Amino acid sequence: MIRLAFRNLFQNRARLIISVGGVALSLLLILSLDAIFTGVEGQVTAYIDHSGADIFVSQAGVRNMHMASSSLPTSVETKVKAVPGVESVTPILYATNMIVVGEERNAAYVIGLPTTVKAGGAWIVSSGRSSPNKKGTIIDRGVAEKSGVGLGDEVEIFGEDFKVVGLSEGTASLFNSVAFISRDDFADSRDSASVVSFLLVKVKEGYSIESVAAQIESLVDDVTAQPRSEFAEQERKVIKDMSTDVIAMMNLIAFFIGLAVMALTVYVATHARRAEYGVLKALGARNTHLYFTVLIQALLSVILGFGVGLVFTLVLTIIAPLLSTSLALAISGESLIKVAAVSLIITGGSAILPIMQITGLDPAIVFRK
Amino acid sequence: MYDNNVSLAIRNLLKDKTRLALSIGGIALAIMLILILDGFRAGMFRQITAYVDHSTGSIIVAQEGVNNLLGISSILPLGATSTVKKAEGVADAVPILSQFVILDLHGKKQPAYMVGYSPARGGGPWRLAAGREPSSDREVVFDRVLAERHEIQLGSTVEILDKDFTVVGLSDGTASWMTSFFFVRKTAAEDLLLAPGATSFLLVTIEDGIAPEVVRDRINRQSGVNASLKSDIAANDLKLFGRYFSAPIQLMSGIAFLVGTLVVGLVIYTATVERRREYGVLKAIGARNGLLYRVVATQALIAALSGTIIGVGLAFAVSEWIMAVRPQFLIVFESFNAAQTILIGLSMALIAALFPARMLAELAPAEVFRK
Repeated sequence: MIRLAFRNLFQNRARLIISVGGVALSLLLILSLDAIFTGVEGQVTAYIDHSGADIFVSQAGVRNMHMASSSLPTSVETKVKAVPGVESVTPILYATNMIVVGEERNAAYVIGLPTTVKAGGAWIVSSGRSSPNKKGTIIDRGVAEKSGVGLGDEVEIFGEDFKVVGLSEGTASLFNSVAFISRDDFADSRDSASVVSFLLVKVKEGYSIESVAAQIESLVDDVTAQPRSEFAEQERKVIKDMSTDVIAMMNLIAFFIGLAVMALTVYVATHARRAEYGVLKALGARNTHLYFTVLIQALLSVILGFGVGLVFTLVLTIIAPLLSTSLALAISGESLIKVAAVSLIITGGSAILPIMQITGLDPAIVFRK
Repeated sequence: MYDNNVSLAIRNLLKDKTRLALSIGGIALAIMLILILDGFRAGMFRQITAYVDHSTGSIIVAQEGVNNLLGISSILPLGATSTVKKAEGVADAVPILSQFVILDLHGKKQPAYMVGYSPARGGGPWRLAAGREPSSDREVVFDRVLAERHEIQLGSTVEILDKDFTVVGLSDGTASWMTSFFFVRKTAAEDLLLAPGATSFLLVTIEDGIAPEVVRDRINRQSGVNASLKSDIAANDLKLFGRYFSAPIQLMSGIAFLVGTLVVGLVIYTATVERRREYGVLKAIGARNGLLYRVVATQALIAALSGTIIGVGLAFAVSEWIMAVRPQFLIVFESFNAAQTILIGLSMALIAALFPARMLAELAPAEVFRK
């Protein structure tokens, strides 16, 4: 029966291509949307992951950076430094603004860095300085290329001119890039000399990061202190929680499209072989055997479609960053399991109509033609 | 001849009604997906500009270099409010302090746009579904849809940046799937952001009889501020957020289009293969390829247009359902969507007819006599 399913499937190449292509595209809808959001999740934590900080200290109740705002009095820095186990504290200022070059405007996390940077600076600098000087900025290389600027050129941040003194890598996402300026310039532009946004803490060797974070929260008032991994997890959760409903809605539509395409192709393939199924029935083949053939045929199509859809998505993950430095797609195991489960449901669902067709098939049909 | 084409095409299609139904269903779903994605984008755009559209005044003054309201933070220089007010042609300048914040509601991260305003001066919610505006620094007007999703009612307590606020009002028209608005007094926002006296934007009303562009240019002569017409701010916000979401939506629409084309292609191809002999006979008795192409194209058109019409109906029904169960989504169908969808359906039909048409062109008339 498996051989029969194989032969049925591969007998008509055009139909096979359409059926596999249809399923592949439907699964691609699910896979690519998941990949976009998984990619964004990875991108939004790039700064946190590469900051070099062990603990992020923020305003009480602020647990992430993206779309958030945190303000701490500068006095908190001294208090955190005094907590046992703290090796260094780097205060940073943070706001979302634009890097403007003529008509080109790119949203950016603007990070104000102190003169001595122990954590939170640019982690890969492809050219120029690794820390910003007065009225100097380090911007993402992709954004610089897109804006047509290079080292020594001027860009506008907070409405003021900054000279590009460094170009960083890995600092762009679908939403924005990261631009580094000096803390003094940041404070001047925003009248924020008396506050900092986050404190990036390094922990001494031999101390547990979690217990130092807990100590900071208990010894310093009105702050939230989280180990870097937890802070990054909270950041990912923002994207995940924002996208859950959209993904669920699109997945449902893609599922029905995949189901319709598969149901149509398996039905058409079965219909074209009605006479042969009639012969098999006339020769004594049981309905269950024929159902099995149809199911195997559907399963093979779906497996092939799944494979092709996955290859398409992998190709997209390679092509997308080449087309846009801010777009990174990533396939997660969770997404693959989900799509595999959807594929199995599509297989079962698409075989229902052909099975009904076979059930009602009169074995004598073969003798009538 | 035209009637013959159509009746032959209809007969070919109706030969297997289940197949026709499945194919129309597939096309309808693809069209529905394209329409819903477009409607979703249009709705999202409308939600993005909701505050700008409904706020007081015709000019928005931001920090120098800022010409967006959402997504970009702005802090005006101290004293900007009084200097802007003094500009010739300015009737009033209402200050607001606004900032995105992430709320933790029932274990879920919910981005929300906080607007700190003075109830006496404006800049707050434009439509209250229930309750009143905040009268103290620990009171908040919450978006109605966001409140319903998290079982928040008038009198409930909500934690904002580690401080408890009492919900005293519920606003309408302030929701979106990505973020919703909530409103506190400006002094409360200053306290939350540790920014006493800070102002993000000024909502400027101009005196009658003066062109807004003239007043905008006058304000822009002052240092440290950037004045823009509300329409420009709205356009910039759309551009900023459109950049984030247009690519994924276009990618998905493109895939849906390909799926629809494949479905029409499969049906027309199968119907043509089944009738190969009949087409061969037609060729043998002198029918030209043009006639056969027309029959194939007519079949494709009938299937695609039927699917398109059902798809449009489905899109309306499904979007109503989506908005009922997930009111944060706004799906808006623009008038040009109908025409665009018909064009998409026609494109699907034409592309799908290419393959079977090529097969017919290569069909040898003599084949019919060999069997």
